[in-house]
Amino acid sequence: MSAELFILGVMTAGVTLYAVLGGADFGGGVWEFNTALRAPAEERALIYRAIGPVWEANHVWLIFVIVGLWSGFPPAFAGLTQALWLPLFLALGGIVFRGASYAFRSQMAGHLRQETLWGGVFALASTAAPFFLGASAGAIASGLEVDTSGHFSGSYLTGWISPTSIFGAFFAVGVCAYLAAVYLTREAAMRKAETLTSRWRLRALVTGAWVGVMAAAGIVLVARDAPDVWEGFKERAWPLIIVSAVSGLMSLAASWRRRWTLAAVTAAGAVGAVVSGWALAQYPLLVPPNLTIDAAKASSTVLTTMAWSIVAGAVLLVPALVLLFSLFKGSGPLERADP
Amino acid sequence: MMAAAETGELLAARSQMAVTLGFHIVFACLGVGLPVLMLVAERRYLRTGDEVWREVARRWSLAFAVLFAVGAVSGTVLSFELGLLWPQFMGTFGSVISLPFTLEGFAFFLEGIFVGIYLYGWDRLSPRVHWWSGMPIALSGVASAWFVVTANAWMNQPRGFTMVDGRVVDANPLRAMLNPATWSQTMHMIVAAYMVTGFLVAMVYAGAALRGRDTAYVRRALALGLVMGAVFAPIQVFVGDWSARVVARTQPVKFAAMEGIAVTEPGAPLRFGPISIPHGAALLLHGDPDAVIPGLDAVPASERPPDAMVHVAFQVMVAVGFGLAFVALWSGWSWWRRRRLPDRRAYRWALIAAGPAAVVALEAGWVVTEVGRQPWIAQGVMRTTEAVTAAPAIRWIFLVVAAGYVALAASTVMVLRILARRPMREESRVG
Repeated sequence: MSAELFILGVMTAGVTLYAVLGGADFGGGVWEFNTALRAPAEERALIYRAIGPVWEANHVWLIFVIVGLWSGFPPAFAGLTQALWLPLFLALGGIVFRGASYAFRSQMAGHLRQETLWGGVFALASTAAPFFLGASAGAIASGLEVDTSGHFSGSYLTGWISPTSIFGAFFAVGVCAYLAAVYLTREAAMRKAETLTSRWRLRALVTGAWVGVMAAAGIVLVARDAPDVWEGFKERAWPLIIVSAVSGLMSLAASWRRRWTLAAVTAAGAVGAVVSGWALAQYPLLVPPNLTIDAAKASSTVLTTMAWSIVAGAVLLVPALVLLFSLFKGSGPLERADP
Repeated sequence: MMAAAETGELLAARSQMAVTLGFHIVFACLGVGLPVLMLVAERRYLRTGDEVWREVARRWSLAFAVLFAVGAVSGTVLSFELGLLWPQFMGTFGSVISLPFTLEGFAFFLEGIFVGIYLYGWDRLSPRVHWWSGMPIALSGVASAWFVVTANAWMNQPRGFTMVDGRVVDANPLRAMLNPATWSQTMHMIVAAYMVTGFLVAMVYAGAALRGRDTAYVRRALALGLVMGAVFAPIQVFVGDWSARVVARTQPVKFAAMEGIAVTEPGAPLRFGPISIPHGAALLLHGDPDAVIPGLDAVPASERPPDAMVHVAFQVMVAVGFGLAFVALWSGWSWWRRRRLPDRRAYRWALIAAGPAAVVALEAGWVVTEVGRQPWIAQGVMRTTEAVTAAPAIRWIFLVVAAGYVALAASTVMVLRILARRPMREESRVG
């Protein structure tokens, strides 16, 4: 396999993991809109406790993908940062204030005014980040006026707005909320909190069904508005749509039958299949309709060096990630985990 | 080539980069330095069983949770901004500086993972394992700093590539990473990170001591921060000197701006504030009072940086650096003679001033290296005007971003103050 395909494979894995792990952290914040108003303290504590140990690590997937893009495919990075500057700045605002308000909020337990203020900022920012990242993803799928050397010739203000980008924005928020609900059901069950478990189970089922309907509508939209991606789905990425649909249905069934871990894994599978399917469908385009992998890729020395540093880094990274998740997300006993 | 409106946008883009980098760098320093202090405090607890040390480590870890979060997200902003503000730079040279950023990605990843384990593992891991889980944070913090600064060093000394028709061919990422500015610049920054952390921590507890809260907790926390600052401040005098010599050799125009040397002539004087020592700069740099140092006039006006700003920033950095080294020697002298720190009010006030002063020196240093490189974004290879985005309304984005960062800074300070007012355990409160 060539170095650029290896790197793109790792980047696709990075985007996928960011969606299924980081997405759930955003989703917890999206639910804060709902829980902030009338939920008991323990329900909100569950959200903060679940996010606490892992959100910083989950967030790094995004940096990882960004660095991979500018290092391995510089014109694509230059083109995308020009074409998507507005949604990306807005997403950054969400990312900054989500992280900061989370840290502030979780240290301010007991200070009611501080909790309310930062809880509100947390909810708003957690929604804004996936909203604008989803819009950016949708804008890429429907195509941007970026030429083969990374020059953008479209409109800086409106060039990123398309039916798919608007859909992507709402779909991303929905997906985050869905993942959070499924994972939080499992965490509530592991803490033997009966009321919370049934409450989150209901939310998981409802948002799951809703996101499923959105996904189906999304297929129709992609067919009309994102021709390059649609061709790719028809040609080679269609099995992943089936994987996603089957996983999603399994997840709903598992939630219904109270098989929490299975529900979480299949929910992640349903979302992950969509994200990686999109990447596969878009191949060999990096930025439809013009910029291909071949046109954007860096020299082979750069790509080979990167590939080897990724392999070397993974030797340290993978065991550390396994340790983190087995400590805080495994099936072991869960006691108080506040810092 | 640039219209007036576009130059305004360039200024807005540069200001935004300055504000976001100047904000992040403080948190980045604390991210490098604080884990070391937490680990030392926790280690003292493991060795001696003294609960006060455990209290120090635990309370610092709460503050670190806030500081690391703000540092992580403000660093994310910078990685996006490289493209959002300077797309032509990244589009052309992104691959050349790929290696340090890829490796930094892993270092940051490990840092994020072990921050989660360390912060949430106090009651979940055995004390010994918990201590070890903090070790990767300290190591990857310093590794991140090294990798990121090599990329900045590359902007000062672009190496490891050939250009054909404005496109990079034949990039050698390892040569780019290990360019002539790399070693002095990375060491200067890492030493600065420990200094800033040490003096900021000492500042907090010198303030507490001055308000009469001279408890066991305050004394230990103060001593620990001060030791870090005082060890690195004298070292920085020498590392800084090394750094300036590398700049003189590799970026003579930047050096001329720093020293305020307008004209190329033998025996350049050393200018410091109102003082001018004849032949000083020539003697200091080359050991020869009549050595020729290139002045700003060595290059056409279009290739000179805004020299007044660079000169002032350089002098501020040097003055603060010597001031901090003096505080370090004062503390060390007192400890050597009397086995305790001075308890004069003047000394405590000096410690309180040392915290913000260290931050001022840090920011001034970045002004020297960034403004001093202008008009180049990559020395001699690409001008900042060629790199900047054509996106409209950058000035409005800048105003929004600046307001957001002011709010963020104020909130962080407020939250840290609320954290500091939390009640202590009994043994830490006694005098």
